[in-house]
Amino acid sequence: MAPLSLYGVANTLVSTLLLHLAAVLPAPLSTLASNSGLITALSVLLFGAILLGASLLNTILLIWFERKMLGRFMDRRGAMHVGYAGLLQNFADGLKLFRKHTFKPRDADGLGFFSAPTAYMVTSIVMFGILPISTGWNSGSLPLSLLLALVVFSFAPLFIFLGAWSSANKYSLIGGMRSAAQMIAYEVPILLAVVAVILLSGSFDLSTIVAEQRNYWFWGPLFLALLVFVAGMLAEMERIPFDLPEAEAELVEGWNTEYGGMLFAFFMLADYARALVGSYLIVLLFLGGWTMPGWVPAPLTNFPLAGILWFQVKTYLVFGVFIWVRASLPRVRTDQLLRVGWMRMIPLALLSIVLAALVVLAKCLPVFGCVPSVGG
Amino acid sequence: MAESEPTPSSNPVLWVAKPLVTAARQFGKSLFRPSTIVYPFERLEDPKFRGAVRVAPGKPIGVGQVWDNYRGVHALNIDTCISCNLCAFSCPDLCIDMVTVPGGDPRHPKKCPQIDYGKCSYCGFCSDACPEGCLTMTTRYELSVSKRADMIYSPERLREVFNAKLPMSPIRVERPKNEDAILLDAPLCIGCNACARDCPTKCITMVDLPKPVPKGGEKLPKRIWKEPVVNDSDCVRCGTCISVCPKECLFWGTHR
Repeated sequence: MAPLSLYGVANTLVSTLLLHLAAVLPAPLSTLASNSGLITALSVLLFGAILLGASLLNTILLIWFERKMLGRFMDRRGAMHVGYAGLLQNFADGLKLFRKHTFKPRDADGLGFFSAPTAYMVTSIVMFGILPISTGWNSGSLPLSLLLALVVFSFAPLFIFLGAWSSANKYSLIGGMRSAAQMIAYEVPILLAVVAVILLSGSFDLSTIVAEQRNYWFWGPLFLALLVFVAGMLAEMERIPFDLPEAEAELVEGWNTEYGGMLFAFFMLADYARALVGSYLIVLLFLGGWTMPGWVPAPLTNFPLAGILWFQVKTYLVFGVFIWVRASLPRVRTDQLLRVGWMRMIPLALLSIVLAALVVLAKCLPVFGCVPSVGG
Repeated sequence: MAESEPTPSSNPVLWVAKPLVTAARQFGKSLFRPSTIVYPFERLEDPKFRGAVRVAPGKPIGVGQVWDNYRGVHALNIDTCISCNLCAFSCPDLCIDMVTVPGGDPRHPKKCPQIDYGKCSYCGFCSDACPEGCLTMTTRYELSVSKRADMIYSPERLREVFNAKLPMSPIRVERPKNEDAILLDAPLCIGCNACARDCPTKCITMVDLPKPVPKGGEKLPKRIWKEPVVNDSDCVRCGTCISVCPKECLFWGTHR
């Protein structure tokens, strides 16, 4: 039996449906329905729809998780009444935003103003197609999927700045400038920290990186890289303590000051999709992805969809740490942020590369037995 | 400066670590039960809820508990109300109207307070002024209504609050010492009986005066030869007699 994959499920569903349709349809249509090209096309569509739907649902669940957990940090309960324990509150909020009037400031540039939320959203959504949640979740292994993911991830500041500049508002512009400066400053340590992972795993393919963590997860030997990566991710997600592009006290709402209604909802959803993607990346690169260590009893890891489950558990734990940080720390200043980014994070990331190289070398010591297939 | 500013630690790691520990401790504390009371479903005064959170009755949860003198909706015991008007007289917001309730005799209808909670400031002067302790304030605090007219509580609605037997704020039982009394300017009195008729506590009795024998050529004043005597211990100092007196012969004054 072929391993369970999302595309396989979609393909089976579509072909079964079309076969039954072909049985009842008249002659010219029935040949069309049994066309293999059509089946493949519909399967790809269904696969994409499931992937997108599941990912966005997960994003909304993440918002719920943050609201509940942040509530406990603040000695309150968070959303309570819509749905069980407030699970449907975010849908209600979305519906409210959907009903609102979409407007554009008089001096704003229409093209940039309206395309920026969508484009920003796309940079987050495309990531869901690239990052493997479990074996068989995505369509196949991309040999350079890590690189592709980081490239797409780095596109976001461009669209934030686009939206900020098109808004024709000084707060938006300042927020956009801060956002661009912050994201570019922390892009570099993130990439350098990823280099350490690549050194250790010897691959740009996320599936291979996860497979290389079968013996030990990378957070142990690459703890320094993990620290740099998490700090950089916090800055990339613009979460507290690095949320100064949206600093309410000084910039109203930062780069999305002029956005309201559904456009704001797009930015909000994309922000959380970005947070989810960032947590995915941390789990994939440092926490062993969907694999579990050997001491976990087999019944807990053997059942179907166990990989997805454990991946999500790890993701939510990582995001829980982000919420913890958000509940604890005050916002930093721009100069502190940039100084830490350029003058502390980059040396630390470089140091972590050296450490990763040492680990790769140590693996070739006779004590451990040289494993030539691993590493560069 | 009585309180000195805490000096920041010189170790930057502590800047991050200390708040993290504090937040984690708070999280652990509120994981079982946050301090928030989910109000419409949990009520501070509900004994079942107090049992669930294991707080003895009368003991505070979180913020202090103030039930023993809470000033909420009024409770009115119509049966003991003497229609003395003191509540309406003492109300600084003029939110109390005395309205007729069934049960009085037809010539002197019984009047009880009707309270407009749109104006009421919950100062509690009325329940302090009430001499019979029939108008008190309770712990009921839910007053939201959808119509403005529903904010006006008729005496019957106030009696329903009374019948609900909610905890009430304490009633003032002792009268202040050296209270002013009703005094009579005897030469002005015409003995008309208005004071005794309208006295809510019936503490005024009209006593007969000896009708003087007119001396030669002198004309006696045209009056009824009676005089009000106030039973001071029964008097609630409502002032009704003073306001109904046609000759303004009654007044407030210290005891003789």
